Amino acid sequence: MADHGTAAATHGGGGGHATVKTYIQVAIALAIITGVEVATLYVPGIPNPVLVISLLVMSAVKFYLVVGFFMHLKYDHPIMRALFVGPLAIAVAIILAVMALFSAFLLLPRPH
Amino acid sequence: MATHAAFMPGAKVEAPTFWGAVASWLTTVDHKRIGILYGSSAFIFFLIGGIEALIMRLQLARPDNTLVGAQTFNELFTMHGTTMVFLAIMPMSAAFFNYMIPLMIGARDVAFPRLNALSYWIFLSGGLFLHVSFLAKAVPDGGWFGYANLTSHQFSPTHSIDFWMLGLQILGISSMLAGFNFLVTIINMRAPGMTLMRMPVFIWMSFVTQFLIVLAFPAITVALILLMFDRFFGTLFYSPAAGGDPLLWQHLFWIFGHPEVYILILPAMGIVSEVLPTFARKPLFGAPVVIYSGIMIGVFGFGVWSHHMFSVGMGPVADAAFSITTMLIAVPTGVKILNWLCTLWGGSIRFRVPLYFSLGFIAMFTMGGLSGVMHASPPVDLQQTDTYFVVAHFHYVLFGGSIFGLFSGAYYWWPKITGKLLDERLGKVHFWLMLLGFNVTFFPQHYLGLIGMPRRIYTYAGDLGWNFWNLVSTIGAFTIAVSLLVFIFNVIRTTRGGKVASADPWDGRTLEWSIPSPPPVYNFARVPDVHDRDELWLQKYGDGHGGAPRPKPAPVTAAEIAAIHMPPSSYWPILLALAMAMMISGLLISMYQVIVGGLLTLFLMYRFAMELHRPADGHGH
Amino acid sequence: MADHAATHDVTHAVHDPNIGNTGLDHRKMGMWAFLGSDCMFFGSLIGTYLAYKGKSISGPTPHDVFDIPLTSYSAALLLASSLTMVLALAALQDNRVKVAAGWLLATAAMGLHFVLNQVYEFWTFVHHHGLTLGTSLFGSTFFVLTGFHGAHVTGGVLWLLLLVSLAWRGKLDRRDYTKVEIAGLYWHFVDIVWIAIFTIIYLIP
Repeated sequence: MADHGTAAATHGGGGGHATVKTYIQVAIALAIITGVEVATLYVPGIPNPVLVISLLVMSAVKFYLVVGFFMHLKYDHPIMRALFVGPLAIAVAIILAVMALFSAFLLLPRPH
Repeated sequence: MATHAAFMPGAKVEAPTFWGAVASWLTTVDHKRIGILYGSSAFIFFLIGGIEALIMRLQLARPDNTLVGAQTFNELFTMHGTTMVFLAIMPMSAAFFNYMIPLMIGARDVAFPRLNALSYWIFLSGGLFLHVSFLAKAVPDGGWFGYANLTSHQFSPTHSIDFWMLGLQILGISSMLAGFNFLVTIINMRAPGMTLMRMPVFIWMSFVTQFLIVLAFPAITVALILLMFDRFFGTLFYSPAAGGDPLLWQHLFWIFGHPEVYILILPAMGIVSEVLPTFARKPLFGAPVVIYSGIMIGVFGFGVWSHHMFSVGMGPVADAAFSITTMLIAVPTGVKILNWLCTLWGGSIRFRVPLYFSLGFIAMFTMGGLSGVMHASPPVDLQQTDTYFVVAHFHYVLFGGSIFGLFSGAYYWWPKITGKLLDERLGKVHFWLMLLGFNVTFFPQHYLGLIGMPRRIYTYAGDLGWNFWNLVSTIGAFTIAVSLLVFIFNVIRTTRGGKVASADPWDGRTLEWSIPSPPPVYNFARVPDVHDRDELWLQKYGDGHGGAPRPKPAPVTAAEIAAIHMPPSSYWPILLALAMAMMISGLLISMYQVIVGGLLTLFLMYRFAMELHRPADGHGH
Repeated sequence: MADHAATHDVTHAVHDPNIGNTGLDHRKMGMWAFLGSDCMFFGSLIGTYLAYKGKSISGPTPHDVFDIPLTSYSAALLLASSLTMVLALAALQDNRVKVAAGWLLATAAMGLHFVLNQVYEFWTFVHHHGLTLGTSLFGSTFFVLTGFHGAHVTGGVLWLLLLVSLAWRGKLDRRDYTKVEIAGLYWHFVDIVWIAIFTIIYLIP
């Protein structure tokens, strides 16, 4: 009745597994990227589109790191990936559609 | 852990006492019983919704009628729509998901049996909560789609909208929990050898439906949360005075609402995809294509929602975009219709009642689809929207489609569920009366819409030329009611002494017909090995290319049955559902009730979770 | 979708009711399905925020009220708590239950700290800036979006504290790996939602 013996069984077919060393490396990467993100705000003279895109890219990388390594999705069965990535894609598409429908894209952010 | 000494030859089974029987139903975690609970509740709510419709049709039968006034009429169409969508069609589909999914994939139950029971009890509490509004004299009256800002506190100061808003939240939780359950069940509990493409098409359509449920309901959950915050906490989401936009509600609602209509139709399409091959004695034509079409309908169903909003002024770009996506989505739907017709072509057809209803589905749904494609054009829709033309359209797809499909499933699977066959002749009377009554009710409404009759009006002047067809429509509605009486009579008569059904009365093709009618609690004495979508057919008749039928397996032994472990009953699901109902209804009564209900909910969630953690009997760990 | 209806797993599945015929655990699969659904929930809330961004007709603006240093610290807290969460899981895999409990407690503590920061943030918005739920579209959208995220974090903290309590009472060990794993998945999800909210709401001007 137990999660039979090794925890590897419960990783259901996932090949490979992140080590503690990997986790710490990921954590350091996350900290660095967050620092860069915040610092970017204080750099004068960056054009807004560039600022927005670089912030979005950095947060996407953080997102990927947490999902892929901490949540183990990189090593998991494709079914688990499909269960998350599909809905995520639909959610992002709907956010963009709603923004467009409410003319949010016409309202370019003003620099401070 | 319940073993099955009771099923061994010569075992004595004590007849349960009345209260013992009640308790066993209240604590059941058996998917078959839960399916019966859903089905019975859904049918009762269907009748309630039908009575609401009949009252409306009586009121509209004559111009300047005074049977009910405007306020009552608003309550009637609101409750009729809400009831039919959330308390009739969805739970009736859920009845079939519950009963048939494990049987058709060769499983003994769903992935989370107690969660399954919880879903039912939450559903029931939601349906009852909505109807308590009648007792509280605050019946929802904002339409089943509750457009802002009519639903704001300013324009709807009574609790009527609160009942609707909170009732839908409760029902949403129920549907989503069940959605997660069936998703995991279908992915993870298929019998050995049953690859995804070997799943019966009903399972596929149910599978897509569960995805739609878990992805669409969050949108309406948010829409309702924003409404709740506006009404209770003074936020400004739908407040034009503060720069808010009532259209936000419409977008969020229809982001849910459009996938919702596919939630309503796909299960019925799945049923039809099982019934046609059985009664044509021919495999479903192009089954993989039907499956892919179902998937496409599900995915692209998220891209068409603003076709419900062509008249609000979104601008030509948005109108054009949604018009194109809406027209595109007609393609996979049409493909399915073609495949169903080709299944029949060249088949050795046996006309039985389940087939009648499936044929009715194809014809009526096609008609509904044609009027739907007309709406896809914004300029055309500007005339049709908010008129009876739209009412005709959606009743053709939801009644002519979903309801006919669900009745097809009911007659088809009745013998499996109850062990009795519904009477054929009465079934045919039911079908023809219902088909006739349905068309007499709704076909004239296309015309009424085109000559200008708006929706949701409680009366009309006598000199507009609408009188005759409104009267005809009302006569049709009562014909439908008579046909339902025939069905109810058939059910009662069959229950009392109908024809006993064998395991496989229709000479079926799929796994559910390989076990007794009704099935034992464990469904399959031995988990089947699957080699094909029409596994049972091949076992019986071979592959039709000269291959012999598969050799019969050795008979099941008592030891095999004794080794089967089914999950025990549990009272946590019903208790937890009651606590949640107490918490949510407290929002309309007192903060103390919310807090007490909330704490009770947390406590019961803890107990629910702990039931399987280190139990004394070794079940779970 | 790759399909692994593996016959060799049948005997395995018969003994463990939580493992399906794909060899995957029902509960883990159910949690991923739930998280997918929760993406739509937060997606709708974020979409609402972005639809209304810049359209308030009065009241303080984001720029007036946001305390980026505090919020950055909160973001760092959640990221760190994700690390302690995976460390807890790694310890549990080796059956070092007390160590795992320690890491779980650290995770919960950081989560609680995050929530307290948020309560403080809300308090200053209301009392120092006059920004409430009903002040403006910004007030409504900001508090509801971040409030529901905070509620998710709070639920996660309670769940983690329950696991800590079970561990201390000797009722949690390596057999419960999947249960702790799914708590972890939920926790990381709450973290990645904050990654999105932090960037989209606080950082992007």
